[in-house]
Amino acid sequence: MINYPKKPSPSLLVLIGIPAGILFSVFSFLQIGFNFQDFKNNLSNRYLVTDPLFNPKWAWAWENSSDALVETIQIAILASIIGCAVALPLSFYASRATNLNKYSYFVYKSFLNLVRTIPDLFWAMIFTVAVGIGPFAGVLALLMFSLAIMGKLLSETIDSIDPGPMEAAKATGASHNQSVFTSALPQVLPNFTAYFLYIFELCIRASVILGLVGAGGVGRIIETQRIFLRFDRISPIIVLILVVVILIEQFSVWLRRKIL
Amino acid sequence: MNIPKQPLNQRIFKYSLTSLIVVSAIWSASGLEITLDRILNAPAQIATLVGAMFPLDLSSEAFDRIIPKVFESLFIAWAGTVIGAIFSFPISFLAANNITIGSVNRVIKQILNGIRAFPELILAFVFLPITGLGPLTGTLAVGIHSIGTLGKLSSEVIEGIDEGPLESIKASGGSKINELTFGVIPQVMPTITSYWLYRFEINLRASAVLGVVGAGGVGQELINQLRFRDFPRAGTVLICTIVLVLTADTISAAIRNRIIKGKTVKS
Repeated sequence: MINYPKKPSPSLLVLIGIPAGILFSVFSFLQIGFNFQDFKNNLSNRYLVTDPLFNPKWAWAWENSSDALVETIQIAILASIIGCAVALPLSFYASRATNLNKYSYFVYKSFLNLVRTIPDLFWAMIFTVAVGIGPFAGVLALLMFSLAIMGKLLSETIDSIDPGPMEAAKATGASHNQSVFTSALPQVLPNFTAYFLYIFELCIRASVILGLVGAGGVGRIIETQRIFLRFDRISPIIVLILVVVILIEQFSVWLRRKIL
Repeated sequence: MNIPKQPLNQRIFKYSLTSLIVVSAIWSASGLEITLDRILNAPAQIATLVGAMFPLDLSSEAFDRIIPKVFESLFIAWAGTVIGAIFSFPISFLAANNITIGSVNRVIKQILNGIRAFPELILAFVFLPITGLGPLTGTLAVGIHSIGTLGKLSSEVIEGIDEGPLESIKASGGSKINELTFGVIPQVMPTITSYWLYRFEINLRASAVLGVVGAGGVGQELINQLRFRDFPRAGTVLICTIVLVLTADTISAAIRNRIIKGKTVKS
């Protein structure tokens, strides 16, 4: 008889956690309420959507949305540049490797976390109320969005830098700030550029929907046509957006390969 | 002292990149008519709005309206993630180039890319006439978008597995199914589970937003309060959302940490 090693019994966490997860899933689906009868009845409405969706009005879309599409790109460019520029110094304060004061570290870190919890469209709603409807609100909203992502990514990168160069700089008599500037910053600069391009792509995608709450860009056109269920006008706009997004992504992939 | 210079073509590249950034920023700012006085006025305007939110509306009537909506967002995000997880799991095996048969994986990958290209919000308002105003629309939108993203991430995990266990199962006479259940799934499960949780965190933010088009969740509440200029109540909505997202993030991050890094042994 071979003595098989005994399989370790699952931990209490797994024993409770997995049934709890399944229960919670069932509960969520019940809360959402799926009524098959209603669904079947409403399925006859699908022609309301699908017919116009597959009969795009290209000429209309090109004529009316090209300006707004440019506006969308401009919002994304400006917001990602400013957001990342603001995030660069902030993430050095929000990293334990470069901020020696643990209280200010905590303050900066929690600030970045707080900004990150608010979804991009919520920022857009807040800023449209605060500074008025238009692309400026969109820029501010995406600025917070890119600030939060860059802050998180970059501060975690700074956490894991090689401490050697900083020590070397300090050994030659540099102050803490000087050593950060000359040794920590050059180490993370390539990552910063790569993250910047990634955030720029995210911003392009996010800026499309900003217009739904009045924060400028092509979403403004989508919103007005959506209310009248003019899916024949929306679908070409969506295709146009996809083309632009794919082109910009290709450009950014090419640039990233060139830099890194 | 002779400090070596960067090679010329690198310097040209660097300067042209910098000028590209500067020029595009100026082009954008002028195109959007963002003037200096608007920028200078913005902080004061934002401060006014935030000031109007305090003191928060803490009446029980407000909470009776807001709390169910906040939880609705949570349910949408969770149910959407479950849909995404269930459907993306088998699909990701077909999309991985080391598991699938023939060139099925290329087709599936393109389909997943196509799904991923549509933001949840656009999916939501396309579904709206069929599934009606309410959380069902939001769940479907979040779920379908999640199939795209989770399918891509999971298939990349499967492509990165160690082939050794598969070979040893084959050598001991295991079938293709045995290879999957004993060779692939135990290797990829921790990473894929942590991706599911990570997706849940993202979906929570997405589902909070979906209410803007009437697809259920807390977004509807926020946009209504802001439209009716009921700022104290809008503030309450915001705070409730922040608390929910922070709590869910913290729990989910802790579980992800435990799954990936294993039990921390106290020494």
